[in-house]
Amino acid sequence: MKLQAHGIETDLPPGWEGRIALRTVPGAGNRTLGEAEPGPTGTPGEVTNPVAHLANFALPEQRGDFGSGAVDVMTEADVLVVLFEYGPESVGKALFKAKGIPTRLTPAMFSASALQRTIPGQAGSQVFFTVANRAFCCYAVLGRQSAANRVLPQANATLAATRISPR
Amino acid sequence: MIIVVVLEGLVIAVLGLLVFGLLRSHAEILKRLHDLGAGLDAGPTQAAQLPPDGPRPGRDFQVMPQVPSPPEREAFGGSADLAGIGAGGNETLTVRVTGVEHDTIVAFLSSGCLTCQRFWDAFRKPRKLGLPAGTRLVVVTKGADSESPSAIAQLAPPGLPTVMSSEAFVDYDIPGSPYFVQVHGPTGRVKGEGTGPDWDQVSSLLSQASGDADLMATLAGSQVAKPGADAERESRIDRELFEAGVAPGDPTLYSVESAEDGPEDDVGSSSRGRERPS
Repeated sequence: MKLQAHGIETDLPPGWEGRIALRTVPGAGNRTLGEAEPGPTGTPGEVTNPVAHLANFALPEQRGDFGSGAVDVMTEADVLVVLFEYGPESVGKALFKAKGIPTRLTPAMFSASALQRTIPGQAGSQVFFTVANRAFCCYAVLGRQSAANRVLPQANATLAATRISPR
Repeated sequence: MIIVVVLEGLVIAVLGLLVFGLLRSHAEILKRLHDLGAGLDAGPTQAAQLPPDGPRPGRDFQVMPQVPSPPEREAFGGSADLAGIGAGGNETLTVRVTGVEHDTIVAFLSSGCLTCQRFWDAFRKPRKLGLPAGTRLVVVTKGADSESPSAIAQLAPPGLPTVMSSEAFVDYDIPGSPYFVQVHGPTGRVKGEGTGPDWDQVSSLLSQASGDADLMATLAGSQVAKPGADAERESRIDRELFEAGVAPGDPTLYSVESAEDGPEDDVGSSSRGRERPS
């Protein structure tokens, strides 16, 4: 199943679904004051960049950039992959020196300490990289660290089927 | 004599007028019935002239105003995963409907129809919908070519996925909105579909369809195997009949006369009335 937006394109395997979004800047929409915005919400005046959420489970509507909200509903067979783009000022920085989308995530790359918010049993991994002159972070979360060998091939296949083109 | 002839002529003229009026009235009644779809073998041209919400030939009900008529097909439509843009147009998304563990109720709505507004309002409080456990509700509207993303953003319930996709209306063969399709996640099979004036009615309809499917599954799972002796006897009878030249589907198996005429032996009495030898 194809998913494409903002220069990010992927072909999701069976059972996977995804979202590619620009964060909603408060005040930019037509919603009534106090109503919840769908998807991640930014801060006034910020320049937003795309963020992709790819998962082998049903993604909830209320999600943070790095998957808060989604990680709360993950079961042990679930995996979440986030591709978060940083601004053009990050291109060329040492943190983003790795080239290309990571497609070989291994169990050893995951730990509970890499999680944005620690949830018992879960494990996360962050890989920063540059592709097509765009700086990204690939943040992956396992619903259960012990299930890494079982679910990581799906995540790697999804990342391998992902293409990022220049802006 | 002349007076009698004139009077007779007048009576005949009056009767002629009366007959003409009756024939015209009859023709008018037939025309009205024709317009309503009565009659045999209504052709496609005639069906096309019928009002969309009115009764159809072979259909003994009329849907409420603002509620689409069900499609003409006999079976449920197909299902497909959903892909489109989110409410407001800021998000591109895919939603898995098939090949997943949970069931999905796909709600096809529009921003314009009055009946849809009741569903938009109801969906803003998902906890009050009484969805079955393990069931996901997804709202689908037509794409940006037919709907305004900003209008859909105003209506979209915050806690439910909303997909703007005209392709989904085609994939599911949706006759209009509001319309609802319940899909069995693991198989992608449509469990039920339909519409109604409010969520209570639609929920009841889908529960009934889902309950029927569950009942069929339960019954299939609780079938008791035939006792061994019965199975052996049936197998022996079938074999003997076959050797005697009576194959499955033979007309003599279904003929009462031939059974009455024949000997009342074990084979004849056992095979009588059986629909089909196993």
